[in-house]
Amino acid sequence: MGEELGRWAEPGLLVLTSLAEGPKHGYAITMDIAEQAGVTLGPGTLYAALQRLEERGLVEGLPADGRRRPYRLTAAGAAELAGQAQRMRRLATLSLDRLQVRPA
Amino acid sequence: MSGDPRVVRALVGCYPPQWRHRYGEEYAQLLHDMQVHRRPRLVVDSLLGAARARGALMSERSPLALPVWSAALFTAAGIGFAKLAEDFPGIAATAHTVMVIASAVALLALAVAAAPAAVVLFRGRADGAWKYVAVPVAAAALWYGVVRIAVATAAGHAVHSGPNVAAFAMIVAAGLGVLAATAWAATRVLQRVPVAGPGRLRPVTVTAMAAGMVGATIAVLVWGLRVRLADAAAFDGDQGLMATSFVSSWIAVLIALCAASVLSGVAARRHLTASWRPRLPGA
Repeated sequence: MGEELGRWAEPGLLVLTSLAEGPKHGYAITMDIAEQAGVTLGPGTLYAALQRLEERGLVEGLPADGRRRPYRLTAAGAAELAGQAQRMRRLATLSLDRLQVRPA
Repeated sequence: MSGDPRVVRALVGCYPPQWRHRYGEEYAQLLHDMQVHRRPRLVVDSLLGAARARGALMSERSPLALPVWSAALFTAAGIGFAKLAEDFPGIAATAHTVMVIASAVALLALAVAAAPAAVVLFRGRADGAWKYVAVPVAAAALWYGVVRIAVATAAGHAVHSGPNVAAFAMIVAAGLGVLAATAWAATRVLQRVPVAGPGRLRPVTVTAMAAGMVGATIAVLVWGLRVRLADAAAFDGDQGLMATSFVSSWIAVLIALCAASVLSGVAARRHLTASWRPRLPGA
């Protein structure tokens, strides 16, 4: 399914989508993304995405639970994800209209 | 982390120290949870992540590295020009003055670009950066020692004699070493400074630096052509650097100035592009 998502399987977007459900630590994020999107994010890919998202203020780390640190979406992260989702929806609608395909 | 399997410790150890300080423990736990030692694909992914982290650290933490190195090259060329021009007092005075002013603009612009970093350094907020400040001082002291040895070696020999030329070459090589060491130390300090200054300051100052270098390069080109018109014999003679011909020395200085101008121009372009590029989400 990861291949089916193509460019929408971009790690940062997947992480934001996963955290939209609520705070999660690294392993929970990878499990959620694998389950929901069918994409297995490697540890290096996941933390590269988390670091960039954190630097840009889109996610923030919470106090660590043992050695596992949960991350949550910030208001800016939620706005960014909403904007991306809207753009994806408009593109999907446009594509389906032009292909004259009815949404399932 | 000491209780983790060796492969986990090794993979975390591949990341740069600053990264490990922030993410090391939780990353080790993730590698442990994912049973990375049984999944070679994840080992490769972690290694690629470490390489990216090191690359990002180098490129993101030293945006002034290219301007600093171009300034070092420019300074070397400028000293070469000063040495070349000292035998031609009064010739092409206007071009000479323009060269001096343009150089001052270029180096002043770099100083302004680096000023926020200097403020952070003097306020003691750049851990581990002070040791690099000692590098140019130590290099200059070493250079002075080389000069003393070179002067003693060349004493009593004619200007164009082998020992004298060798002594001068030694001084020049040591001087280039001082410039390189200073530029290296400056980039190391800038890598460790946690603030960047006002958003528009760097693009403007780096662009001003590039403009100053281009102006200085054109001034040296004009100066050499004026020397040719004013004193054709000297132009074709051997009054160049290290007893070489004037023309070859002049061209060497011009090439170094052109290279410094191109490097600073590339840096200015990068800074201007970055300052106008909209922020993208984590990719």
